[in-house]
Amino acid sequence: METAKVLIPSLKKELLLQWRTRGQLTAVFVFGAVSLLLFSFAIGPNAAALRTFSAGFLWIAVLLSSTLTLAESFHGEMENRALEGLLLLPSDPRALYYAKAIANWLQLTMLGIALVPVMVILYDAGTTRLPTLLLVIVLGAAGLSAPGTLYAAMTAQLKAKQTLLPLLLFPLIVPALLASVKATSYVILGDPMGQAKSWLSLLAAFDLIYWALCGMLYERVIED
Amino acid sequence: MTEGVISGGWEFVWAAYGITAAAFAIYGVTLVMRLRASRNHDH
Amino acid sequence: MRKGFGFIAFGVVLLLTGSYLGLFVAPAERYMGDVQRIMYVHVPTAWNWMLSVLFSLVCAIAFLARNNMKWDARLEASLEVSTLLAFLLCCQGAIWAKPTWGVWWDWDPRLTTTAVLLFATIGILALRSAVEDPTKRAIWSSVATIIAAVDLPIVYYSVKWWNSLHQMQSTPQTVSSAFHAPLRINAFGVLFLMIGFIMLRTRIAAARLERELAGPPVRIGEEAGELA
Repeated sequence: METAKVLIPSLKKELLLQWRTRGQLTAVFVFGAVSLLLFSFAIGPNAAALRTFSAGFLWIAVLLSSTLTLAESFHGEMENRALEGLLLLPSDPRALYYAKAIANWLQLTMLGIALVPVMVILYDAGTTRLPTLLLVIVLGAAGLSAPGTLYAAMTAQLKAKQTLLPLLLFPLIVPALLASVKATSYVILGDPMGQAKSWLSLLAAFDLIYWALCGMLYERVIED
Repeated sequence: MTEGVISGGWEFVWAAYGITAAAFAIYGVTLVMRLRASRNHDH
Repeated sequence: MRKGFGFIAFGVVLLLTGSYLGLFVAPAERYMGDVQRIMYVHVPTAWNWMLSVLFSLVCAIAFLARNNMKWDARLEASLEVSTLLAFLLCCQGAIWAKPTWGVWWDWDPRLTTTAVLLFATIGILALRSAVEDPTKRAIWSSVATIIAAVDLPIVYYSVKWWNSLHQMQSTPQTVSSAFHAPLRINAFGVLFLMIGFIMLRTRIAAARLERELAGPPVRIGEEAGELA
């Protein structure tokens, strides 16, 4: 349980850092909202079509914005070589990973929730099944943040990080994106056959696999 | 699904085999060139 | 030293034989007609692509377990060859889909999974070219390869499920049961060609590693020699 002991203070540190850079989060939200606005120009002023594709647009907007927040999540460590300092401490590197991944998860969840009203207004995609929608966003954000945090740790040190992070992350999260879009779609457009549940289980399985696997592999990624 | 027999379509067959052969050939040539370049490095 | 070229030569001979049989000797399939001949090159490519992905995974795990740079060179080689095969699969699949289903891209789970993995391996190769430190490059690309390989079945089943829910795709019988010879010969042809490519590419990667690690007495030099 050494991991848990280190996890709490590390998580506190991450959340404090995020709170201090909350201006960044606002900017990322605005980026996502503008993307949602732009997607409607791809379809044209066709209310029915926009509503049909609203779930896909929401998740693409979250995905595009996520590369910005994920890339920034290791900025502090790289700036002052703080990661090397942390590694010198006798602590569990897995705890450092999970603290970062959880912080990113929270951030992406907030981003997703914040983008929902924008989607509802622009695409007329209202729904009353908010708990299910929240669950989809929470699980979908978890699916993005586990591999995203790992890849951010790798690419943060590279010159080409802005292109490499999406290049590595986008193909990988295809199943999570697919499941999130489908589940959200059922929430918005109605789900007479009860299919959202199976997509949610797929999403949960994806999350479980990658939260476990990336935690295991992180130790090797940051070692020197 | 299509009904009955698809007639013709040889241009698709040639395209598939042609792309495969070209890709293998070009890749093989680049391999030999890179191998030579790395050998020149040594000397 | 010449072993890689031997495999390639043998593979080319097999491929020429198999393709000749597939193109001119094998009968046209009952429903697909002559278009079905694409399968004699497509299916062997697909099998060997899966083998190359599996071999990349083996290399990645072996590297992380052993920390031996020999496996890094092999990983680089198999990732590159795997990218080539995935690219070919996507092209052949699109060429097959057009006369058969009337569209270039049908969101068939196999084809879509190949495309996803194609971009994943391109990403890993791009990562490799961006990292200068050989040790970090080896570890990171091994980690990324494992993550991508684990993703493969998840992508396949999610796309299959996603596609089957919006339309039932009846897949035609892939191979005319009357004529298996060109298929088998081409499968071994691509296999030998792939082995030869991977061997040559491993040698290039090992030589570069040797240069990068030159200076301190590292055993990689001898190992690279063994590989060749």
